[in-house]
Amino acid sequence: MHAPPQTTLPLISAQNVRKTYRLGKISVPVLRDASIDVHEGEWVSIVGSSGSGKSTLLHLLGGLDRADADSGAIRFGGEDIRALGAARENRYRNRDVGFVFQFYHLLPELNVLENAMLPALVGLSRWRWFAEKGALRDRTAELLKTCGLGHRLLHRPAELSGGERQRVAIARALVNGPRMLLADEPTGNLDAKTGAGILDLLAERHAAGLTMVMVTHDASIAARAQRQVRIADGRVQ
Amino acid sequence: MYAPLLANRYLTSRIIPFLAVAAVALCVALVIVVVSVMSGFLDMVRSSGKTLIGDVVVTRDIVGIPYYQDFIREIEALPEAEAASALVESYGLLQMPYGTGDGGKRIETVQVWGIDPESFDRVTDYQSKLYWRTPTAQEAKSLGPDDPRLESEYQRENDGMSLRDSFGNPGIVLGIEISPFNRRTKDGSYRTENQLGQQDPGYFMPNVGNVLLTLVPVSESGRIVGEKKSSFAVVNEFQSGVYQIDAQRVLAPLTDVQRMLMLDEAELTSKTEFDDNGRPKVIGTTPARATTIVVKAKRGVDPRTLREAVERAYGNFYTKAMENRANMVKPPARVIVATWEERLSDLIGPVEKERELMRTLFSIVYVVCAALVLAIFWSIVQEKTRDIGILRAVGASRTGVLWIFLRYGLLIGVVGSIVGVFLAWTIVARINDIHDLLGTPAPMWLRVGAWVIVAIGLLMIVRGIVRASALQTVLWGFGTLALIAIAIVLWHHEGHVIWDPSVYYFSRIPSTIDFHTAWTTALGGTIFSVIGAAIPAGRAADTDPVQSLRYE
Ligand SMILES: Nc1ncnc2c1ncn2[C@@H]1O[C@H](COP(=O)(O)OP(=O)(O)OP(=O)(O)O)[C@@H](O)[C@H]1O
Ligand SMILES: [Mg+2]
Repeated sequence: MHAPPQTTLPLISAQNVRKTYRLGKISVPVLRDASIDVHEGEWVSIVGSSGSGKSTLLHLLGGLDRADADSGAIRFGGEDIRALGAARENRYRNRDVGFVFQFYHLLPELNVLENAMLPALVGLSRWRWFAEKGALRDRTAELLKTCGLGHRLLHRPAELSGGERQRVAIARALVNGPRMLLADEPTGNLDAKTGAGILDLLAERHAAGLTMVMVTHDASIAARAQRQVRIADGRVQ
Repeated sequence: MYAPLLANRYLTSRIIPFLAVAAVALCVALVIVVVSVMSGFLDMVRSSGKTLIGDVVVTRDIVGIPYYQDFIREIEALPEAEAASALVESYGLLQMPYGTGDGGKRIETVQVWGIDPESFDRVTDYQSKLYWRTPTAQEAKSLGPDDPRLESEYQRENDGMSLRDSFGNPGIVLGIEISPFNRRTKDGSYRTENQLGQQDPGYFMPNVGNVLLTLVPVSESGRIVGEKKSSFAVVNEFQSGVYQIDAQRVLAPLTDVQRMLMLDEAELTSKTEFDDNGRPKVIGTTPARATTIVVKAKRGVDPRTLREAVERAYGNFYTKAMENRANMVKPPARVIVATWEERLSDLIGPVEKERELMRTLFSIVYVVCAALVLAIFWSIVQEKTRDIGILRAVGASRTGVLWIFLRYGLLIGVVGSIVGVFLAWTIVARINDIHDLLGTPAPMWLRVGAWVIVAIGLLMIVRGIVRASALQTVLWGFGTLALIAIAIVLWHHEGHVIWDPSVYYFSRIPSTIDFHTAWTTALGGTIFSVIGAAIPAGRAADTDPVQSLRYE
């Protein structure tokens, strides 16, 4: 493990981020001036009690949700992701970030291989798809094999166990070779042994240079990260 | 490149798309069948009024048009006109050859048309409207085996065409509904029956004898000049297809009617000079007159175009007639020239009103079907909100996501619409068979068979309960209820003739698909499928992915 290179620009940086949910007339402030910096190659764990806003923060970092209007900036590589145009925003979600959800979120009509390939398909034009179809299949199958799913390529998500589904979701997050992986309790629904397997998989990726931000409840999992931050009262402490 | 993949998967991996196709098809078929049959019916009513009138009608009541032969020549020279024929129209009383039962003879009020059968036939296809004539090979096939028209005794088209009986006496052709002894049967044909309802050739009108026609000539100044009576032999009957016409019109030779109405050629006498015998001096002849000229358009010529041409032709005729010093009388400066639709507006008016009403009803059916299709796609795509969230989360664009569901809606819409058109076509083409089937009681094997199937259904319910299968029990439960209903209906079904030709004037239900309706409905079905799919898809694509992902 190497210490974070504090001198360089952070890969992703959120400053004074605010997120308020409005339920009719009641407004529920979830994040109040939350700030976090994550450097290239870092593995950061976000912990906090349930409902403290961990998932909310992760969604904001991944560009899947919109912060309040008076919120501070969220910068990726120095660029404010809130100000991206539609096309650049899509590319950010597609290429720069890989997102692993707490509840897998696979497409039930697609098989394992197709689910894992999905971000690659989204990023390809029709012509490049014809040219790269074979190579892409092979690459994805290879990736799934390293995730331990080599024998399940043509199964539907409904035919998989929870751990297997999460592996598909991880393969999907990695298929486009993102610079940063955002994982929301990737082992939250799994037993300890399966969870450990998934974590080993992610640790391998991190060792290969992937920046990771992971939300977790589990202290032992959080401890594997280089740095832990805690969210409470809508702030990162 | 994910759009085709996903659209295909959504289409092939579930049963819902098939249900959606079926729903779209049924909606499309419903609209097409209803609109085709109803507007076919209205068209039939509307065009049936056209019989025996031609495309354009020129009229000048009472005084009539003198030198009408010149006018007809003028018309027949028009490139728009095929043929023209002169008539004399009037009202009269017809004394029937049979009695009322209390000693007197039956009298009918009739509309008399004096016609020249040969030219009248060229304009109005008169011969084909004669009821007692030799059927064509085609017609013979559709006649019942006991139809009298199959016997040569009843094939009287020659008398009808000459308007003379076999002794050369003037003949008359009556509308088929005038005689109360003509009974319309279920297949739409007529039998002659006596008062006891038995078939009786003695009541066949051309056998019954002569009728006495009374007409009232009116002078140019509008005064009634006294009545004229004349006897005619009934030589045939005609069926125009319009009850109002068939129940009161009679056709007699033009010259006889002209004579009775004093519209024939006559000596013109002076009012001031007298001959040796003290009678008014003959100074020339007044020409015969016709009150009506019917004109047939050349193929493909619109009646309105023909009307304008005929108006011009009358102008020419009028100028020439005025210039001709040999002419003793002047033709009227003004005549009424009308297309058959204008002429029959009192008959067509209610039909057009009906059509408006129908359009309103159709649009309700249309809106209901459109809403149904919209709702189906809406709920199908709504179900996919989470998928859309996933796609957006991995970087799919809004348009990309939208495109998947547009494809989906388009494909189901097109397939459903095509199936619907075929379904409608099958139903409409066989609507008379279906109607006949409904008109006959169900055969015994079907009645018993239905109950046997009900019994099997009951057994399947028991099986479902024994096997503790909720789905089987529910499905067979509802299925059996439906079967019981069907079995009961079949058992009591005595045959309903919805469209009874002995009551309605048309013997067959219109069975052609309205092409225009078919394609607009199919297009509508497709458009509403696409809109129904596009709106929720667009909505989901517009929200932040996290929001869509929360959709349960
Ligand atoms: N769409 C929403 N509308 C209203 N409130 C919301 C919405 N999404 C989240 N919240 C609220 O925001 C708070 C933070 O939610 P978040 O999912 O970020 O918590 P979390 O820290 O991830 O919790 P957990 O550990 O249980 O996953 C919760 O109180 C939640 O009720
Ligand atoms: Mg959470």
